[in-house]
Amino acid sequence: MASDESLTALKILMIGPSGAGKSALLIRYCDDQFDSESSTATIGVDFKRKKLSVHGKAYQLFLLDTAGQERFRTLSNSYYRGAHGVILVYDISNRQSFQAMERWFEEAESNAIPGAIMYLVGSKLDKAASSRVVEYTEGEQLAARHGAGFCEVSSKTRENVRKPFVEIVDKIVKSPELLAATSRQTGAVTVTGSEGAGWSSCAC
Amino acid sequence: MESLSETQWDVVIEGTGLRQSLLALALSRSNKKVLHVDQNEYYGGIAAAFSLQEIEEWAERVTKEPTTGPFRNASIWRASDEDPTGGEALSFSRAYSLSLSPQIIYSKSKLLSQLVSSQVYRQLEFQAVGNWWIYVPTVPSEPAQTATLKRLPNGREDIFEDSSIENRAKRCLMKFLKFVADYENHAEIWESHAKSGLPQFLASQFQLSSQLQAVICALTLSLNSPEETSVGYSLPRIKRHLTSIGVFGPGFGAVVPKWGGGAEIAQVACRAGAVGGGVYVLGTGISSSQQSDNDAPIEVQLSNGETVQTKHLARFTEFVSDTQPNNTTISRIMAVVSSPLTSLFENSVEGSPVPAVSVIVFPPGTLTNDSIAHRYPAYVIPHSSDAGECPVGQCVLYATTLCTTNSKDLLETALNAFLTTHGEDTKLLYSVYYEQQECGWQTKDLSDRSNPSFDLAFNDLLLEDVAAEWKAILGSDVDESTFMQFEKRPNMDDGDDDYDNEH
Repeated sequence: MASDESLTALKILMIGPSGAGKSALLIRYCDDQFDSESSTATIGVDFKRKKLSVHGKAYQLFLLDTAGQERFRTLSNSYYRGAHGVILVYDISNRQSFQAMERWFEEAESNAIPGAIMYLVGSKLDKAASSRVVEYTEGEQLAARHGAGFCEVSSKTRENVRKPFVEIVDKIVKSPELLAATSRQTGAVTVTGSEGAGWSSCAC
Repeated sequence: MESLSETQWDVVIEGTGLRQSLLALALSRSNKKVLHVDQNEYYGGIAAAFSLQEIEEWAERVTKEPTTGPFRNASIWRASDEDPTGGEALSFSRAYSLSLSPQIIYSKSKLLSQLVSSQVYRQLEFQAVGNWWIYVPTVPSEPAQTATLKRLPNGREDIFEDSSIENRAKRCLMKFLKFVADYENHAEIWESHAKSGLPQFLASQFQLSSQLQAVICALTLSLNSPEETSVGYSLPRIKRHLTSIGVFGPGFGAVVPKWGGGAEIAQVACRAGAVGGGVYVLGTGISSSQQSDNDAPIEVQLSNGETVQTKHLARFTEFVSDTQPNNTTISRIMAVVSSPLTSLFENSVEGSPVPAVSVIVFPPGTLTNDSIAHRYPAYVIPHSSDAGECPVGQCVLYATTLCTTNSKDLLETALNAFLTTHGEDTKLLYSVYYEQQECGWQTKDLSDRSNPSFDLAFNDLLLEDVAAEWKAILGSDVDESTFMQFEKRPNMDDGDDDYDNEH
């Protein structure tokens, strides 16, 4: 089996307003855990790794959460560097979180590299019967306007939790230009001094 | 959303410049409750990197509120779109990431080892700084000979092979290089000259020709005239330059973080602060603070009207105070040109990485003309598109010199002189002139204008400030060897998801 280092690495970001369920989705997908009590941002996790096979090829996903920097909208440009895909999450039981998505799309589109794949997720689908305030078609239409994929998920019941990841990766790997744009590292040098020969002229 | 005032903070940090961001990084595993604010809407403070649109907004603010920051007299020039000569045009605003205070980072700088030991280097990409050049103007006696750039020797072998240096001079130079590599143990040679100018010392102690004096002076990156650049200031800097070459690979001795240099480090450090639980608020400064007695919490009034309580308040003085003596100013230009300037960035040593940054030194006098008395060295530091600051096919040129009555003319003359030596049909597309005053500094009594906020190379003194503040916050019993030493974060990783087996 291929070692992790030899797999194509894909960087995927989670963004969206506080409390939309980004971390819950990430933790359900990566660790199959769900904590209904936890509402605060996860501390101490920079990113999660997950191996995903699509069409017979395995990819190493690097999934980055906002680390709370969405709260006052202080995500940095550097967060978006080299991202192949951005998953934008809102809460279907919270109209405000949906209304914020236009600005999140704007931020993602202006900071991510041209051609990066966007995917919109309506979360907390388990609340659909009791407290849905954003209709499926509204989300679908917003996503379509931005050329993004779309689905609704429940991290609580596991419904559709894999769908956003599988579909965004499927779109990313069908975009050779995107993969090429993120792998170009002419002249990159390593500064660790201990790994490998100290530098490499090509990291492709 | 709960308000900031509901939390009892351990530390409030003001500003997201390099010092403050590195402090946030240093505290990111300390379990301290950190509130990190910046009055600017962007990260990086004086090291910020901007898109074209952000530069325009910044220049407007500098003009409107000239007293609130270290920057003055910003003016933007843009090639007109109807320019009949055509040529490549400026790309869209976000294709650029232009740095207000670009710095190279020597391989021997502790900053790099701290970025590694604190794990954040994984979020950074570094590009090599190679190819140092010195500008050699036309001499009146030989008008046929055009001005050129002469490449500075890159280590001992280069010196041996350099046919323009005669053998006797080579021996003198080698003697000096041997001395400087171990100058700390040869105080008898230099200590009595510590406050003298570097050229006189090189001439009297090592019999170096004026040409070689200029080469050695160039390596100091001093903004002062060579005569005012002291031996005590120069020797550690020359040693740093020479011993850094080859540390991370052949042919280069310094690096630059891709996408905007210090701004990128600040952002990555702040993200580490956020991952560690720090709360980030931009566009919010500190209006005032009070503390009733030493044991009481500090009350901090934020510019958004909220009042928060904290045990520590980290406010590094970013701006000039009137009480500061010898307050100096530098002139800078950042310019975008329509050429990849390929010949500047060719690798000089077999097997070395292609540098993305080069350094061109204009020694005093080399740009003198009827209207300019060229008294202080000027530096032009080109960044290729590999540095991630401009589109492919263009370059960003960063020019710096001490501010004088004609420093703007001088920098423009330097840029033109450089473009002329380059010979290609290279057009200036965009240029921003501005002046920058030096920032306050708390650790040391700085002489020789070595203020880290001005330095063209990252100055490790800044790390001393960060470490001192870190220690003040964690208490005197903290183990200093743990500063910036972190394990790799657990990522709870390696779950497999095999989509194909189910579909």
